[in-house]
Amino acid sequence: MDLDAYRISTEPYYQPVGDEVMVFSAAYAERLPVMLKGPTGCGKTRFIEHMAWKLGRPLITVAAHEDMTAADLAGRYLLEPSGTVWHDGPLTLAVRHGAICYLDEVVEARQDTTVVLHPLTDARRILPLDKRNEVVPAHADFQLTISYNPGYQSAVKDLKESTKQRFVAIDFGYPPAATEAAIVAREGGTDAELAKTLVAIAERTRNLQGHGLDEGASTRMLIHAGRLVRAGLPLESAVQSSIVIPITDNIDIRAALTEAIRACLP
Amino acid sequence: MTLHLIDSAGADASRTLHQTMSQREALRPLFRAVWSELATNFGPADLEAWSAAVLKLVHVNAGPTCLIVFWDASRVVSRQKQVAPLVMAADAAADICRWAGAEAATATLKIFPVVGRLLGNEASLMRWWRAMQMLASKEPIVVSLVAKNMTEILSSGSIDAFESFIASGLRASAGDKKRLMSFFALQDEFAERLITHGASAVTFAAVEIELNAFVTALWGHSPLLRPLSHNGSQGSPRRVSIAGPLIRMPEVFRGFEGDAARDVFRAAAAHAQAHLVFGSYPFNVGSLKPLQVALVNLIEDARIETLAMRQLPGLRRLWTPYHVAAPSGIRTSPSLLARLARALFDPAYSDDESFVTKGREMFSNAAPRIRDPAISREIGMLLGNDLGQMRVQFNAKSYIVEPVYRDDGVGLWNFGKTTSSPDEAIDLPADAASDERKETEDSEHTTAESDTAASAGRARPIAPDVMGVVIARYPEWDREHSFERPAWTTVREVSPHLGDPRSIDAAIDQAHILRSRVRQLIRGITIGRTVRLNRQHDGHDIDLNALLDAGIALRLDQIPDPRVFRSSAAAHRDLSALLMIDVSESTSDRLASGATVLDVERLAVALLAEAMERLGDPFGLLAFASDGRNNVQMTTIKSFEETYTRACMARLSGLRAGLSTRLGAALRHAGHVIGATKSGRKLVLVLTDGEPSDIDAGALDLVEDARRAAVGLHAGGIDVYGVVLGKAGIKSAARIFGRGKTMMVHRVEDLPARLSELYFRLARR
Repeated sequence: MDLDAYRISTEPYYQPVGDEVMVFSAAYAERLPVMLKGPTGCGKTRFIEHMAWKLGRPLITVAAHEDMTAADLAGRYLLEPSGTVWHDGPLTLAVRHGAICYLDEVVEARQDTTVVLHPLTDARRILPLDKRNEVVPAHADFQLTISYNPGYQSAVKDLKESTKQRFVAIDFGYPPAATEAAIVAREGGTDAELAKTLVAIAERTRNLQGHGLDEGASTRMLIHAGRLVRAGLPLESAVQSSIVIPITDNIDIRAALTEAIRACLP
Repeated sequence: MTLHLIDSAGADASRTLHQTMSQREALRPLFRAVWSELATNFGPADLEAWSAAVLKLVHVNAGPTCLIVFWDASRVVSRQKQVAPLVMAADAAADICRWAGAEAATATLKIFPVVGRLLGNEASLMRWWRAMQMLASKEPIVVSLVAKNMTEILSSGSIDAFESFIASGLRASAGDKKRLMSFFALQDEFAERLITHGASAVTFAAVEIELNAFVTALWGHSPLLRPLSHNGSQGSPRRVSIAGPLIRMPEVFRGFEGDAARDVFRAAAAHAQAHLVFGSYPFNVGSLKPLQVALVNLIEDARIETLAMRQLPGLRRLWTPYHVAAPSGIRTSPSLLARLARALFDPAYSDDESFVTKGREMFSNAAPRIRDPAISREIGMLLGNDLGQMRVQFNAKSYIVEPVYRDDGVGLWNFGKTTSSPDEAIDLPADAASDERKETEDSEHTTAESDTAASAGRARPIAPDVMGVVIARYPEWDREHSFERPAWTTVREVSPHLGDPRSIDAAIDQAHILRSRVRQLIRGITIGRTVRLNRQHDGHDIDLNALLDAGIALRLDQIPDPRVFRSSAAAHRDLSALLMIDVSESTSDRLASGATVLDVERLAVALLAEAMERLGDPFGLLAFASDGRNNVQMTTIKSFEETYTRACMARLSGLRAGLSTRLGAALRHAGHVIGATKSGRKLVLVLTDGEPSDIDAGALDLVEDARRAAVGLHAGGIDVYGVVLGKAGIKSAARIFGRGKTMMVHRVEDLPARLSELYFRLARR
């Protein structure tokens, strides 16, 4: 089976901030599993797409959720007219055929689910399928990457130590102001001045992190704001609907944020 | 000249008044002077009416002081060429004199021109007199007091508020003289609240949360905003005052309502925080004169605002509306300073006054060094000299910083005792500043003490009874003779002292990292509580495994299990918790950080309480201490029935350390309290800092008794956990609660984090 559907044909834009491209390339060269940490909307998913394109590997993405079982990852028997038929899950697919498997927000999954990753992420590089009585050795090109957002995840659902310690980690933060402005300008299609203002606005919201907001505005939010402006919306209402209203429901914080944002506008 | 006027008037009252006055040696010269001044403003008929009014006062024996005060007032009011307010005043004052005495009448008359100005129209003034007359007839003793505090009471400037204030005062005191006096002396909290919150003004308390968030968003530092306490000043418009790291905000900005008030609060908070972000203080006052100090402040204001606006250009919009000074011919120091302030702020403003242009020029020349606070001093000093040479008067006492959103500037200065200019005007704010600073240092630790000190002079509604109400008697275990002494201890409910809930807010705010961690714990518990149900008769999804089994069964010609669905259901939380807080004397020990053990306990409890309230678990908070077996004191901070409100926080912040720890009785009482709840799972957490002790029993006996109490609770299906602070109680705690049910917190500072973690660990089961 080929994974052409999972290949990325055009280069996804990614602006490196630090040495993350080098780290990932090195980890891939050694086929070490990687963990991407960082707040929402700071470019984790974009980064892995970019790396998959750069390395020329297919990328299989799985969004983890509360009800995800090991079978959802590994595969299960299905019933067909001829009898029961085994269907590989996304993880098994990647292991067998040599793709990068990206588990988004992995802590959302139940802990018993993440344990299936263990034999894949150490020297063994195998995936045992107990139901099928099969051990799938990992394809030479297979690599596992997971992401999680330490701020937003609940502490009780933190990764197990035994899981955590198998991964090479790359920490993502919001890029420095100038870099972020360049990203917003390119992705949001705004001029440099507006991008700078948007980044200043984001800084105001990030100041409130822990003082009324769980997380500040993400780069993704800024890009959305920029795109709304490009579509003809006045800046103030674009910011209101793409940042202020989504980010909080608290009336006081909303009012404060609106005023603080106004202070950034020339 | 005088004679001529009388002739032309030819009226009775004037003549009688002149005759009367000519017999009063002491009053005569003054009267003549007043008369001639009034004669320039009033016509003969008005003068006649005025004379009749004065005679009325003479007839009620108001005394010379009262007459002089009335004349003074007449001079002021006569400039508006209206006699009616004066006649009204004399009529009413005569009544007040009759009911409440000459002193009250004098005090009322003294304040009346100011009131006229504050209220602005005659109809309101008439209502004001009527209210004062009514007060004099009902409670004559407070009239002088009210008159003395008039500017304060009328700070909202509306007669409706004044009338309701008087009515509320009479109603609230209900004949209680002491309460009455303290109310009208404005020493009563209710009175203060009425004044500041009256007339639907936007108060600091109403905007505090938003302001905090606003300023934090601007510069990333959480500001320490505090209300500026009432100081009984003569109704001067208040300005923000910076004291060390604190920003003290006025309760209200007079003359601003609704959104305008919110705007000015924002402008003021942003300005004050800009000082703290861009400035470095204190400046040394050295040999600067008051005028120079004011100018240095002004330049410094402009400097930090320039820096702030460079970073956040939109702040200009926030501050612009308050710069309203305009060029005018009058060269008074306040107007010149306000114009300079505007010139430095607003590049579009034009002003040809040489002083203003010079200041502007010097400031723009200093632009390359804008980050250097020294330029404020340099420019301020030079401009101060210039203004001095212009012979413009400057009165430091009456000077009020303009525009309204700027701070009073006092907090930027170090008025050292070595100041070489013993100018009174400087000393005054200096005292205020050093007071504030002291307050800053102490406020963190001594809220409880200062609370008592502050309220000592006030009448309290109900003085907390030290002995308290007996609510229960419990047995106690006699270790030596191995039997239970019936009804041996007496538990009393004592009424809580109230503290300031803001101190709890502030403590929690400082521990915001911890708070968000606890919030995540909550989220984990609430979100993570859905349970998946496999092999159901119906559900939102097919249970693949069950379906496969069913398919296999069909092919094997067996009867398949029809339960092939799966669903999920939210787990039902059924837990109530009681937190027992040990407030014995040892909790007043200070830690290395300077906080007391009780402070840390308080923060830990506040954090946990906030979390439990969010979770919706029913919970209670009880503080306990003991003074012998007949006085085991319980303070209810939150009962199971009430919700966790500001009132509970006030009680929590008012907790004081004292007495001993009779743990057994406290545990039995805890069992009694939580036993009344209906939850399936009952949890008692005991927060203590050492071994049980009391004045009339040995530690060994008390440990054994507490152990029996804990065992008794277990037997009744109540889980008891001990959270033990420090190392003192290690052995006994394990003995009392059981090894698995004790959590040791060796570093007391860790308590807030550990306590919440423990709760969530226990609550998940």
